[in-house]
Formats: sequence, C-alpha cells, structure tokens
Amino acid sequence: MSAWAFIRFYTILVYTFMFAPIAVVLLLAFNNSQFGGFPIDGLSLRWFAELFENEAIMRAFRTSFILGLMTAAVATTVGILAALALVRYQFRGKDWVTTFLISPVLVPETVLAVGLLIFLRWLHMPRSFTLLLLGHSIIALPFVVLVVQARLVGIRREYEEAARSLGASPVQTFFSVTFPLLLPAIFAGALFAFTISFDNITATIFWRPSGMETVPTQIFGMLRHSVSPEINALGFVMICITVGVPLLAGGLARYFSRRKV
Amino acid sequence: MPDTATPIDKRPLVLLTPAFIAITALVVIPMSFILVYSFYENVDLAVDRVAFQFGNWQALFSDNYYHSAIWKTLRISVVVTVLAAVLGYLPAYFIAMTTFRHKWLLLLLLILPFWVSFIIRTLSWIHILGNQGALNGLFLWLGLTDEPLQMMFSEFSVMVGLIHVFLPYMILNIYVSLEGIDRNLEPAARTLGATPWQAFREVTLPLSLPGLAAGSLLVFVLTGGSYVTPLILGGPSDFLFGNLIYDAVVTELNWPMGATLSFTLLVLLGSVVILYSRFMGLNQLSKAFG
Amino acid sequence: MTRKMDSTKRYEKLREAVGNGDVDRRTFFGLLGSAGITAGLSGGIMTAMAGQARAAGVELHFEGWGGVVSEALRKHAFDPYEAATGNTVIDATFGGENEVLTKIKAAGSTSGHNILHSSGVSWYKRWVDNGYHVVLNEDNIPNLKNVMTTMIEPFRAITPEGLSAVPYDYGTTGIAYNTKHVSKEKAMELGADLLLDKELKGKIGGWGGDWANRAWYGALQSGQDPNNIEDWDAVWEKAREHRELVLKYWGSGAELMDLLAKEEIWVTEAWSGRVAALQAQGHPIAYMDPPNGLAWMESMFVLKGSPLAEAEELLNFMLEPETAIAVAAGQKYPSSLDPTKVDMPEEVTNLPAFDPTGKLEALVFRDPQTWNPQEKKQGAMWNRVKKGG
Repeated sequence: MSAWAFIRFYTILVYTFMFAPIAVVLLLAFNNSQFGGFPIDGLSLRWFAELFENEAIMRAFRTSFILGLMTAAVATTVGILAALALVRYQFRGKDWVTTFLISPVLVPETVLAVGLLIFLRWLHMPRSFTLLLLGHSIIALPFVVLVVQARLVGIRREYEEAARSLGASPVQTFFSVTFPLLLPAIFAGALFAFTISFDNITATIFWRPSGMETVPTQIFGMLRHSVSPEINALGFVMICITVGVPLLAGGLARYFSRRKV
Repeated sequence: MPDTATPIDKRPLVLLTPAFIAITALVVIPMSFILVYSFYENVDLAVDRVAFQFGNWQALFSDNYYHSAIWKTLRISVVVTVLAAVLGYLPAYFIAMTTFRHKWLLLLLLILPFWVSFIIRTLSWIHILGNQGALNGLFLWLGLTDEPLQMMFSEFSVMVGLIHVFLPYMILNIYVSLEGIDRNLEPAARTLGATPWQAFREVTLPLSLPGLAAGSLLVFVLTGGSYVTPLILGGPSDFLFGNLIYDAVVTELNWPMGATLSFTLLVLLGSVVILYSRFMGLNQLSKAFG
Repeated sequence: MTRKMDSTKRYEKLREAVGNGDVDRRTFFGLLGSAGITAGLSGGIMTAMAGQARAAGVELHFEGWGGVVSEALRKHAFDPYEAATGNTVIDATFGGENEVLTKIKAAGSTSGHNILHSSGVSWYKRWVDNGYHVVLNEDNIPNLKNVMTTMIEPFRAITPEGLSAVPYDYGTTGIAYNTKHVSKEKAMELGADLLLDKELKGKIGGWGGDWANRAWYGALQSGQDPNNIEDWDAVWEKAREHRELVLKYWGSGAELMDLLAKEEIWVTEAWSGRVAALQAQGHPIAYMDPPNGLAWMESMFVLKGSPLAEAEELLNFMLEPETAIAVAAGQKYPSSLDPTKVDMPEEVTNLPAFDPTGKLEALVFRDPQTWNPQEKKQGAMWNRVKKGG
C-alpha cells in the first residue's frame, strides 16, 4: 500500500506543477493593479466587469468556441476511422501509413500555414472560416489518431468476436460493443482536438480571414501594449465553466434522485 | 483471424481514405509548393526569383550555425521527452487505476491548462520562477537563500515551460493505453505468485508501452518544432531550430531559405517517426501472436 | 510595376511546374471536391459567421496593433464613420507588417487588406517598392492640414506624385532604467553605453525583434552616424558585447513592461509609450533619449486595390483631433497633429518624446534610403548575432 501512497503523492506533485501557472493566472484575475503581478495590492472584480464589456474578446470567444467544436467533430471522425484501419487490419506498408498520418505534426506550423496559403492562391480560393476549420482539423488529426490508436490496441478482440458468434451483425457489433468500448478514446480525442484548436495561434494568424479573431489572436494583438488582466479573468471564467458546469449538473442530478427516494 | 487471411482487404483502405485525402490536400500538396520554393533564390526581402539552384541547400550543409542549432534542438527535445515520461507515467497510472469515483475530473484537470491561452500560461512562469516570483519568495522567507536565485531566462526555464505545455500529451497517451488493459491481469499475476512490482513489470508496463511510445513521440516532435517558448522564457542563447525557420520566413521574409530549413526539420523529425514506427510495428506484431 | 510583373510571372511558372508534374489536375479537382463536401457541412455556421461582417455599403479592412488603440479607433473613428456613411470598417489585429506582407504575398493579392497601421518610413518604402501603394487625393482629407509638415515630408520624398499614407503618431526608442539601481547622473554620462555597462551584467535587456534597432544602437556605441554606417563589423561587435550582458531580448511591449516592472532587468532600450505607461503606474523607471536616439513615426497606409474615396474619408475621420487625441492617450504615443494648430490636453503633452514646437527637430529618424538596402544582409546578420553567431 505504501507504493500506492507514493504514486498518489507523486501525482499530486505533478498536478501542482501543472497548475502552478494556472493558479497564478486565476489569482491575478482578482488583482486590482493594472500590471505587475505579485504581490497583489488589492482584490477587485473590475477585470471581470471589463471583460464582459469588451465586445472584441467576447466575439473572439464565440468564434473560438464554434471553431473548436467543429474541429473536434471533423478531426475525431476522420481520426477514428484511420485508427481503426491501423489497429484492426494487417496490411503492407503500415509503417509508412502511420508516418503519413502523423506527418502534419512534423511540419512546423509556420510552414504549414504558408504552404497552404500558396496552395489556396493556386486554387483561387480566398481565406475563409472553412480554411481555418480544415487547417485546425489537420493539425489535430495526428493527436486524435495517436490517442485513439493507443486505446484500440488494448481493446480485446474477443468481445467483438463473442458478439458476432452470438449472431450480431457487424454494424450491431460496432454500435453495441466496439463503440461503447471506444467512447473514452473518442471523448479524449474530441477534447484534445477541441483544445488544440482553441489554443492554436501560429497557424491561425495566417489563415484567419480578415476581421475574424480567435481568443489567442486577440490576446496576441494586446501584447504590444502589455497584457490586460481581463485575459486572466477570461481564463478564470472558462475554467469555472468547464469544471463547474459538469460538477453542478452531477450534483443536481444526485440531489434530485435522492429527493425522489 | 478471418480478416487477415485474405491478402487484399479493401476495408482498411476505405477507412483510411478520408484521412489520406485530407493530409494529401492540406499537407502534402502545400509542402510540395514549399519544396519547390527551396530551390528559388531570394533576391531581396520578400522578392524571390524563380530558379533551380542549390544555394540554400549549400548554405545549410556548409554552415556550422545551422548544425549547432540542430544539435541543440535534438538535445533539448530528448531531455524534455525523458523528463516528461518520468513525470507523466505515475500520474497516468494513478488515473487509470484509482478507484476514485470522479476519474473524469482528473482527466479534465489535465486539459484545463489549454483553456488559458498558451501565451498567458507561458508568461505566468515569470510570476513563479522570476526574481520576484513565488518560488524565490518562498526560498527567501524560509531563509534558504539570501538573494533571489536566477532561474528565469535560462535553459532550465525553457525546459520547464516546454514540459508544462507537453506533459498532458504524455499523460493522456499513457493513460489511454493503461485504461485499455484488462483489470484482472495484474491480480491474476499476483495469484500466480508474482510480487506487485513483478506483476507491474511483467504485465502492465509492457501493455502500456504503446501509449508511452506514442506520448514520447509526440512530445519529442512537438518540442523539436516549437519556437515560442524559448522566445518568451529563454535567454539569448536559448533557441530551437524552429526559431531559425520563424526568423527566415517571418522576419527576414526569405522564403526560399525558410523552405529549405523547414524541409530539414521535416526530414529530421520524420526519420524519428519512421524509427518509432518500425519499433512499434514489431511490438504490435509480437502482441498479435501472443 | 516591373516588380509586380515579376511576381505574377513567378506564380505562373510555379503553377505550370506543378501542373505539368506528377500531380495531374483531375486529382486536384477531386480533392477540391472533397474539400467542398466538408465545406458544405459547415456551411450553415459559416454563413452565420460571415453575416457578422456583412452589411450594406463598402467594406474597409483595417489592420492595426489591437488593444487600446483599436478600442480608441473603434469608438472615436470607426463607429462615427459607419454611422455617417453606411460603410463598414472591419478591424483586425496583426502581429506586424511582415505578417501582412507574408499573407499578401502568399495570396497574391491585397484583397481583404485596405488600411494598415504601418510602422515608419522604412515600411512605407517597402510597400511602395513592392508596388502596393496608391495615390490619395489630399483634397478629400482636409484634416491632413493639421498634420505636422515635418512628418509628411519624408513620405512625400518617397512618392512625390502623391501620398499613399497619412502620418499618424510618433515615438522614440530610448533607454529605460530603474532609478533604484542606476543613478540619473550615471545614465546621463554613459548615454547609449549604459547598455554596455559590465557592472550591470545579467540585468540588461534589449529588443530582439528588430535588427535596425540593434544596429542603430550599435552605431551610436561605436561612434558612427546611425544614418550613415560605414563599419558594419564594428556595429555587430558592439551588439555581441551587449549580448554578453543581456538577460533577455524581449519581443513585445507586454514583455518589456513585465521585465522592467518585476525588476528582472534594470536597463534596456525601450519604447517611450510603454515606459510612460509604467511610470503612470508608479514604477521607478526613468526614460532618456541618448544623443542621436532613435525616433520613428507610424502612418495609416492605404493598400492598392482599396476603394479610395471611402478610404480617404475614413482617414479624415481618424485624423479628427478628438480621435487622434484619444488614440494618443490610449497608446501613449503623441499624435501627428501639429500642437501649434490643435490644442493638446495635458495627458498628451506630458507624454515622452512629445514635441510642443511641431517641428520634431530634436528627433532623428531612420533614413530609408540608407537603411532599406542593408536589410536583407544585416537583418540576417542580426538573427545570427542574437543567437551567439
């Protein structure tokens, strides 16, 4: 049991490391001072007020959110199909196929961005939201493939074969056996794709149509003049939403189910 | 197995088609435009001449400046990857094996940092490692040092920043492979007389290798391609090959040289992936027989 | 014009090269078709997103530095302009003009780019040299009369047939130092050599983003006229000497302010406006312009292919004293309007580098005729020196 205690302690340490900069951001969201970080001179909510009045950031937030959701849908669908092929079938040249699927990660984003722009010019297509969506999807695709693939390797074939031998059709097998087993991987892949899209800056700068800002490009624009703590407030709000909403939903569900009994 | 018996099976092809089309259209073709560019000649800023000459490639092969950057990049990538694996394995194991009911929360927490802009997260390390940062404040208060330790703007702070950004990739990849392992295997090994450590080493660790390898590959490749982190957290001597590419493409507006450098990085990182793929291919094969 | 031809021809050739290569056109259009299907899937949302931008009237795309400047322009120039004309201004932020030039080059046209908050005469010359300029009708910009003539002249010298931009603001890149650690006397005595003070090793910063800025200071430190550098080796020798002492080359205003405020560095060259912002927050940071210190100006540049009449009208709105003053107060750089013709409030007259005479005689600007031809070689050189080469 002491080994487990050590693992738990170690995990807590690593999570502390992961969250140290985030904690700083969250704390500074309440710092009254315009600039400067620690020590905090006073607490205030003024950055939250300014955040909600700042239309540009709110608009950028909406754009990023929609873009992230769509990227997750596209990249996860394509990625799962490819990962299935890689894990479930033996065929020649698999090494090369794997390399090919991972190749978008290998290309420095600046170069990928410029290359795609030249290609678009050749096709006489203007920059558009679609370009951003396709570009983000291709950046996220290798991650989805890797995450899903690692998970698929662990799923035992026997479950599916059992279902098949019990008379299920391949489609039925997929939806009643494979799909539920895949769900954690799908979820992880989609979440990954979403967050990668949400946080992408390098390529987005080149691909976005004029007048469209995502959260990172909006922040990038603010860098010339010092970053406003509104950004910390935005981070705070986002984290509250992503952690708080599921927690609240779960808590309420439990509360009401208990009332019924 | 029935489906491996038939030599020509169209199903994997069908499954792979969407990904193939996407990567061909959005990566391969644009990259071939870039390859063409690496033979062009840069006359002046943003003015290139169509040509087929090897000046850029010659500069790359003959100039020590580029070679040292490549070494530095490989070295930092290896160190970051190893450290990320060391830091990441146990937490992934913990998440996979814990009986804690809200396991999803632990996973969500891993991804949360992405929700705060990368630039902001990276800048906030200055609040922690800086002269007036939280760590130095703590050390001074505890009396461990009399003067603030200079931790920022060094290779150390660059590595901290890189590990911080890429660690979730590592943990998640290890986690998904651990999560896929049959829970009964370790106890089964125990009943056969294995110690917990043996059970882990003989059963769990080998089964989690695909995830560990995938995570390491990702961290290595992502570190090798990054350039913003050293810009923000590094001192004058801390740069990666990606910084040279960024300088060539964006600040010097010398696309032909930028294209040449990009291809070099592409080939370097690509060979790592091929190596990995070879190794993993063998691994998977042995498992299919096992 | 000839340059333009060159670039068109280049793309034609590139196109041919790929068209005749292994990849045939049919495959291309097959791929295009599949891309179209994906596009179709996202069609609904796309239309909604585009709807945000579409409106009646002409659209003008403005690109600037974002932050407080955008806010001031939006409130005092773009909104009133839209209300008065029915046209739409789509404002966006860029990371620098390099990025815009990269985009325009890659796209092969200026479509989607109309007005840029352009830095300096050097970039004006670069846009003109690349054939992306227009000839503005100054009669349509009556507020241009209030702009200092000394600021207009350098632009007119490059395009005598007519301006393609209006000067908008100016500032200096001087030296900022922490008064707790560096005395005023010492700073004044050393001037530009303060950046080379060995006692301050590890407490010195520098701007990493611009080769010309580094070279300007290298010229001052090696005793040369920055607008007529003859010994470039001496310049880079000074840059190497500086590098040995530097803790950090910063890349943005945010970073500069952070480093100074947290006392990670005590001395650095700095943008006047950012130091003013720090001083306003009570940080013990002083600012000086060494003799022959670097001054610069920014303009609103109109790119080729823009609807001229509308662009001129917008520039006129932007030069309204009320707008220009609000922007100046926001970004902490003085406006290009002549203070002898337009009354400036105290928050503008107190800005560093502000010149009440309206002649800017004390400031030295970069001469694009001697600087631009050097950029390809020395810009690459600086990227090397910066990395220890």
